[in-house]
Amino acid sequence: MEKREADSFWQRMQQIPRYYIYLLLAGVVVWQLLWPIRLPIVPSSASQGLYDAIRAAPDDKLIVISTDWDASTQAETGPQTQAVINACFQLKKRFVIMNMQPPMGVKLSNDIATELAKLYGARYGIDWANWGYKYGYGNVLMAMAKDIPKTIGDDYYGKPVTTLPLMKGVKNIKSVGLVIEITGLSAMTETWIGLIQGPYQIPFGAAYTAVMAPIYYPYLDSGQMKGLLVGAKGAAEMEALVNRPGSATTIMNVQSWAHVLIIALIVIGNIGYLLARSQTRGRER
Amino acid sequence: MNAEVTILWAAAIATLGIYSILYRENPVSRLLEHIFVGLSAGYLVFTTWTQNLEGKWWNPMIHDRHWYWIFAPIVGILFYFIYSRRLVWLARLVMGLFFGTAAGTFFREFFPLYSPQIYASFKPLRPDGAALMANPGAAWSDVLLHNWIFVIILLTVMSYFFFSIPHEGKFGRNLGRSSLLGRWFLMIAFGAMFGNTVMARISLFIGRMQFLLKDWLGHYLTWFAGRGF
Repeated sequence: MEKREADSFWQRMQQIPRYYIYLLLAGVVVWQLLWPIRLPIVPSSASQGLYDAIRAAPDDKLIVISTDWDASTQAETGPQTQAVINACFQLKKRFVIMNMQPPMGVKLSNDIATELAKLYGARYGIDWANWGYKYGYGNVLMAMAKDIPKTIGDDYYGKPVTTLPLMKGVKNIKSVGLVIEITGLSAMTETWIGLIQGPYQIPFGAAYTAVMAPIYYPYLDSGQMKGLLVGAKGAAEMEALVNRPGSATTIMNVQSWAHVLIIALIVIGNIGYLLARSQTRGRER
Repeated sequence: MNAEVTILWAAAIATLGIYSILYRENPVSRLLEHIFVGLSAGYLVFTTWTQNLEGKWWNPMIHDRHWYWIFAPIVGILFYFIYSRRLVWLARLVMGLFFGTAAGTFFREFFPLYSPQIYASFKPLRPDGAALMANPGAAWSDVLLHNWIFVIILLTVMSYFFFSIPHEGKFGRNLGRSSLLGRWFLMIAFGAMFGNTVMARISLFIGRMQFLLKDWLGHYLTWFAGRGF
């Protein structure tokens, strides 16, 4: 690419080498991770909606947490999973983890649940379980709607789910009181809502990466979704609701300062563009 | 050096190596990228076997003697006949089966997915008791404002995608104005989405920095920051 010759301060401001921007951003992140200036976290109505949905889930029914994420989105979906599981344990709701795609999520979320279960003294198979990675998207959900034990078969550890005390009385999708989808993939929600939430009126909540969340707000507005966690921000809000600040709270604090830097750079770049343009026009006259 | 520390160092070196792409394209970053892709693919194969095929297909077929499961991979192999000109019809058979299943599932999904949203689009411009009940805790004026904004944006954006009438004449010019407003609303929405994208990308970066500083260098930084990290 041909390099434009910078002839004024404002033109130079539009051509800051990207390495400087990366370094500045890294500097702000390191500064805030080491010496944080805490900012308040106020839960949004979308996050509050998900917390309320967990609280309202009937005690005799299961909460299904579909953890369809992997290492590439772990910074957001990991804390979201942690916050949702924290809420389930705190509110003494029985839950199961399952995963349809990508399969890495089944292990990562299992590690999170196992760690948290130790804190709450919760027992595997009684208070929570992991149904494992089940391939087949819509086919799995349609089969689950009719017969959960037969569809799931074995749990994450290869044990038949029918042997788990938690599964006593669980027959079909009517035994599920709430579905929470945690994902960075867009197609999963449509499958859950189209095949389970809509036809069987099972309450549905979600937690998404911030990139994909905006397209799902209409589902919140129409009532198809009870609540929604948006990226690390949503996870931090859920952490505030369960009163257990974790990694998302740290991330959001750092993020707020990183955003200040980015906004400042955008403003400087745009002012530079406008002033440089007016200078050029002045010279042309 | 125990296994945990080795894994920690490997993860830290991999993180730094992948981020070296920010400086310029280099063999280390490319090598690590390939390792990551390979690991993911390998993990997919392993998990598909242990979590699905072993329990649902292999064990019933071998241990429970449900011999008919042998037909499952035979049907799967039919896909490979796409490479044979003479027998390609076998591949088409199985593809047709899958297309039909996918289309049927999509039809089933479609109405429960979109009809509630169409219904929710009809918002009262003068909210009544039912509209207030649907928004618990919201003041009448808030619901009124929300509904008006929603309806105006809905109509103007829809008019932007209405290409059948030229923007000429009285009606056409008004449609053009509405379409222009709709385009502005779309731009604002794209801006909000891009803002969220920036937020997501920075979250991932902070996540890795947290790992590098807390998990990897944490022990060494504790004294530097003057407190437990």
